[in-house]
This record gives sequence, structure tokens and C-alpha cells, in this order.
Amino acid sequence: MSDFEPRIVAFFCNWCTYGAADLAGVSRLDYPPNFRVVRLPCTGRLNPKYIIEAFKRGADGVWVSGCHPGDCHYIAGNYHARRKFVLLHHMIEAVGVEPGRLHFSWISSAEATKFQEVAREVVEKVRASGPNQSFRKAELDLGLAEVA
Amino acid sequence: MTSLADLNQNIQTAARRALADGRAEVVFGYRQGTAPFTAAPHFARTPEDCGQFVWTSFARVNLAAYLPKYPGKVALIARGCEARSAVGQVVESQFPRENLYVIGVGCQGMVDPEAVLAREKRPIREVTEDLTTINLAGDGWTASLPKAEVLRRNCKTCVCRTPKDLADEMLGGDAPPLPADDFADLKALAAKPPQEKMAYFKGLVKDCLRCYACRQACPLCYCPVCFVDETRPQWLGKSNDAMDTFTFHLLRAFHCAGRCTSCGACEAACPMDIKLREFNRLLEEEVQKDWQFVPGASWDQKPPLTTYRPDDEADFIK
Amino acid sequence: MAEYTVKDKLSFLKAAAGSGRRLLAPSSKDGRVRLAEVTPDRVAFDYLNTHLSPKDAFFPQTEKMLAFHKDAAKPGAFVYQPLGLDKIQPTVVFGLRPCDARGLAVCDRVFQNDRFTDPYWKTKYEGAVKIGLACQAPGPNCFCTAVGGSPFGEDGLDVLAFTKGEGLGLKTLTPAGDEFLKGLSGLESGGAAGEMDGLKKAAESRLPGPLDLAKAQAAPVMEIYNQPHWKETADRCLNCGTCTFFCPTCHCFDIQDEENERGGVRMRNWDTCMSWLYTIHGSGHNPRPTKTERVRQRFMHKLKYIPLKQGGACGCVGCGRCVQHCPVNIDIRAVAVDMSK
Repeated sequence: MSDFEPRIVAFFCNWCTYGAADLAGVSRLDYPPNFRVVRLPCTGRLNPKYIIEAFKRGADGVWVSGCHPGDCHYIAGNYHARRKFVLLHHMIEAVGVEPGRLHFSWISSAEATKFQEVAREVVEKVRASGPNQSFRKAELDLGLAEVA
Repeated sequence: MTSLADLNQNIQTAARRALADGRAEVVFGYRQGTAPFTAAPHFARTPEDCGQFVWTSFARVNLAAYLPKYPGKVALIARGCEARSAVGQVVESQFPRENLYVIGVGCQGMVDPEAVLAREKRPIREVTEDLTTINLAGDGWTASLPKAEVLRRNCKTCVCRTPKDLADEMLGGDAPPLPADDFADLKALAAKPPQEKMAYFKGLVKDCLRCYACRQACPLCYCPVCFVDETRPQWLGKSNDAMDTFTFHLLRAFHCAGRCTSCGACEAACPMDIKLREFNRLLEEEVQKDWQFVPGASWDQKPPLTTYRPDDEADFIK
Repeated sequence: MAEYTVKDKLSFLKAAAGSGRRLLAPSSKDGRVRLAEVTPDRVAFDYLNTHLSPKDAFFPQTEKMLAFHKDAAKPGAFVYQPLGLDKIQPTVVFGLRPCDARGLAVCDRVFQNDRFTDPYWKTKYEGAVKIGLACQAPGPNCFCTAVGGSPFGEDGLDVLAFTKGEGLGLKTLTPAGDEFLKGLSGLESGGAAGEMDGLKKAAESRLPGPLDLAKAQAAPVMEIYNQPHWKETADRCLNCGTCTFFCPTCHCFDIQDEENERGGVRMRNWDTCMSWLYTIHGSGHNPRPTKTERVRQRFMHKLKYIPLKQGGACGCVGCGRCVQHCPVNIDIRAVAVDMSK
């Protein structure tokens, strides 16, 4: 599995981590390109079904990142989100998704270096977990083998 | 309380009184079912209707499921779990407190038909009950079983068998609470490797038909449109795909987190006898541990996912 | 038609399994009896009925109908190919209860009639030899006799069998049944029909008498439709789909495509008239907006529309599954009585 490149869906808050990713880019900080970013207005907007949907459609990992507690643009969005994360994190691991697949972080828009570090850590942990085979929908059988 | 007939009499009298006093225009309770192990929800609007009310151990639903958005004043003949669910709905603004009159009844627990059938292993043609036993009759045989030996799984760890703190009036004797769920089995499972955990939880729902009886029976599932019925976008396929089914159960449990009163209506309604509460218990354990919250225990305490504390712990967040 | 006896069940099942057909029969798994492809030694006999109705053997909960993918040669075009039809094997179904066989016959008239033929249903249904097993000890929720059936009913079956000590008595009912039994070894001719009559009477005497559906059948549709009792039943109904999923005659489905970037699969899935989603229009209008319309639809369909469309045959076969599983005890027998008041 040495050539396995994980596919990760990242949900970033518009006001912080999304900016940190931008700053990391303009600062020419190197980070792995394995995640596709979905920009959210706030982590409080994150519906747990988005995370499960990402896995269901075959993502190998999911990374959610927002503003540090106390820094929410909408005062308390991330406080509410944090309670959801606690339950979701617990549930996802309790039902047998490998612990390395789901990640959460707080990264402000000024923390380009933290963004780089966390991005590297997330990708490496998901890579170590291998391809997501158990927590996803089976690939549709289009009957192509019979055609060929 | 000396007999079930007395209790039934008291329930009927209390129901008539609630109607006569104008505290309610309808009383929610149960009447005798038409087949073994059944009971029918019964909605009485006249004193005559009230004569059909009975106490039953075969209720498969939670009467609070009929309450959300109910347009009038309701008296609810409630077990502890039903009272708790109704309280939760008031807290969630599904109807005003003054529209609800709770006639609480001390409850020795509901009977699990599967548990009875597993013991008897022969066709049961008639089932009757008194306060502590159920009486079975089949082809040329009769038997009695103590209810306590064939309780529903959720009833074995009921902490609110006597809802006297929530009820406007109480009937029936006190039923002392049982030792609360210690989640020992889930704790043991948590130590197992991921593959084993997933095999366990996927295995639980492998027979699920997605008839959604669990959702419909649930007093918490009052959303006008459930996420599984959403079509734009469609979150869940309509086939019996295992991952779609698994997703349904995970997300339903999540939506019930910090709200579930362990009434067991989901499991009792499930025609495939799936242990649905295993998913809810996962989160119940976490809610109790992190936020010391007990759903439906007070009229003014907010559910944990609608509030927060600035110092909530979440050390897994980088 | 012919009659046969066999001395032991197992050798009969072995012969049936060796006939070149796939053997589907009730067997116990996780404490529940279900119709499944099994080896003869695992076939169950001590069951009242299968937990789920046998309809999924002919009309599965999810049936993949066709696959499509992008045509590499022609941009914008798709290539379609049917799925599954060529994989349907000839089958022998053993152990259908007469009520369920009658239920399948109701479905058959829906899936094959002078207007439509459903190839998926037709291939499976007609490709199966259906051997019924009579109910010598009907269950507590059974009421086939109340709706015109019998524990020894013959509708929809090719062969009717009954337990005779360690063996079986068999009566063929169709040319297909005749031909199938003729090809099996170890059968003795005769010795079934006489005994069957006595057993039938004994079993029927343990079941309820006929429901009085005369008024419901004779009254105009709109009169029944506008009866006031529907509201009371609907008050209680949760609109879960348990009754429809367990019913041997409920046959509604929803066709959906599931796609990915290369193509997709068209499948049909069981649907339920208890769901608001069943009738919602693209515009957002819903002709059955509340529980009352949905509950009424189910019972009108079973007890009024199907008899009208199928020459009087009742859409309920009295298997009792909905009575057993309905979480709020909506009993079709009680509804039928209300409709006939």
C-alpha cells in the first residue's frame, strides 16, 4: 500500500482555517495536496451528515477545522459545534471507524504554520489507516466487465 | 394497589375527571388490543370513551409521539418514560406546558413478546395480565410468567418507573427505580479492534427493512421532513444498501442524542427485533459522562446540544 | 391431477433439490424462519409461517433492473444493458403457506395482465414450481378463512403438500406441478386426497368464520371512501411501513437511479403508501396530505379496489402479519368491519 494516496474531505470555516490555508499558500509553506476543501460559514453549520456522507461516498478521511473557542465570528458557533464534535467523534470511533480517519482542529487565520503541521499530520494518519473499505457505500456495479 | 382491575378503574376515573374539569379535551391512553401481545393507543374525548382505558404491559409505542403540534389540551396517562418524553417535547417547544396534564402511573415495565416467545417456543393464543404476571394460553396448555423475567431490554434499567416529579397526579403504587444502565457491554466493546466493533454494529442492522417504524414510533422524531426522505439532495439511497441503512441508524441516533429517554418504543415497534437502542446508548453514555444531562428530567433544562459551556472538554481537537 | 405420498420428507426434498432446480424453502436463521436457498437437511417444518412474506423471492426489496454507462464512442450518449434477467434460475419453492401463495397470485395479476407484463416478475414467478405446505395447526393471528382462503387453499400453487407422519401427502394442481413430481423418484401414487379432506375440515374449524364484507363490496367506492371511521383509525396510525413491508400482497415500488461519474444503475425498491413521500408531486403538491388519506388508501386498496379490479378476489389473504406487527394494533379485520357497517 506504499503508493496509496488518501482522499480527504476537509470542512473549513471561512473565517479562520480557510484563511490559514490561504496564508500557508502565499507563505509558500509546503503541505500535502490530499484534501479537497469544502468552505463553511462556520463549523456550527456543519451537519454531521456531511461527514458521514463524505465517508459514504468513499473518502478515506475527513478533517474539520474552525476557529479557536472564543474566536467565533458568530460568537458561539464553534462552541455549539464542539459539542457535536464530541458526540460524533465518540460515535464514529465506537462503531468501528479507525481512529485515524476523522480529525478536528482549531486553526486561526494567522496560524499558517499550524495549518501546515496539522495538514501533514492528518494526511499521514489517514494514510496509515489505509483505504476506507468498511465505512463506505459499495461501488456501483455497472456491468462493465461483461461488456468488455 | 390491589389488582389490575382497580388500577384500570382508577385510570378511567382520572381520565373522566380530567375531561370534566376541563383540564383536557382528549385523554391519551391505551385500550385492550385485538391480538396477543398488542395494545391499541386510545384517545378518549367523552366519559364513555374513557371506559375502555386499561393499563397494559404490551404497549409498543410511546404516547408522547402523538403530542407534538397537537392543537388542543391533552391529558396523558403516562409511564415514566412517556412523561419524560413529553417533558422533553415541552422543553423543545413542541407544545405549551399548559396544554398538557400528566396522569402518571407507576410502571413495573413493559413485556417483551420476543422474550416470552423465546421461552415458550409454542404458539400462544391468548395473553392476559395482572399486576405482576402475564398469563398465557395455547393449544391445551396454560402458563404464567412473572413480568419481571420477560421485561423489555430498556425497562430493565429504568430510572423513572414512578414519574411523580413530573406528573400532575399519580396513580398506581410506587415502582422503585432499577439500577441505571452501566453501559458495561459498550465499554467492553470499545476496547475491541475497529473491525470487530463495525462488524457488531453493522450486524445489528443487517435485517433492517427501513420500514421506519422506529422513527415513526419515536417521540423525538417529529421533524416535518426526515433527512432520509429529503430528495434535494437525496442523502440516502432508497435501496436496501447496507451502508445506507447503517447511515440511517447512525444519524437517527445522533439526532436523538441527549434527548432519548430510553422508552424503547423504537425496539418495540421494530418488526425485525433489531436492538436499535445500542446506537442510542452509545451517545447516551457520552452525554451523561460529559454533560451530566438526563433527558426529560426537568421542565426547564435545555438539551445539551442546544447549549454549551465555554470550558467544554474536547481534548481530541488539535 | 395426481396424488402422491412419500415416506420421508428429507428424501423428497433431496429429490427436489436434485431436480436441477434451485430449492427455496423455509429455514431457521437467528431464531427466525425465512424463505431461503437451503440444503434439504436445513428445511424447517415446525413453523407457523415465514417471518417475512415470500414475495421477496419474486419481487425483491431492491431489484436492479438495468445498468447504464457513458458511450465511449459517442459523446453524450449512454449504453444501456438489462441486469439480472438472464441470471434467474429455475426454482422450486417448497413450504409456501396457502395464504401466501394466494397473496402471490394477487401480485401476479398486478404484474401480468392484459395491459402490462413485468419481465422480472414473470420470469421468476413462472420459472418456479410452487409447492405449498398446508397449515394443519394454524397460528394465533391467522384468519385466511375470514377472507375466502383456507389452510389447505390451492390458489397460486402447483402442488399442495401436507405432513403425514414422517412423510408427506402431495396433490398436484397444475400441469407444471404434475410434470415436476413425475420427474422425481421415490414417490408412491395415491393415498393423499381422502386424508386431505378430513385434515382440511379440522384445520378450518380452528379458524374464524368469514368476515362480512358484503356491504363493503357492494357499496359504491365513494360511499366507503367518505365513511367517518377513517379518521379514528388514522389518529392512531404512525404511518410506519411495517404493514406494507410484511404484506404478501403489497406490491408498490419506486424506481430510482443511483449514479456515479461513469454511469448508473436503475433499481426498483419496495415503496409504501404509508409514507407522504409516496405521493408527493414534483410541484410539492401532495394528493394524500395527511395520515387519514394514506391509511384509507391502504385499506381501500386491499378490500375495495383489488376486489373491483381482480374480479372479486380480496386483497387481504389473512396471513395475520400486519396484525402481529402493527405497533399500534390497527387490525385489518376491525377496519373491514367498520367498512361494512
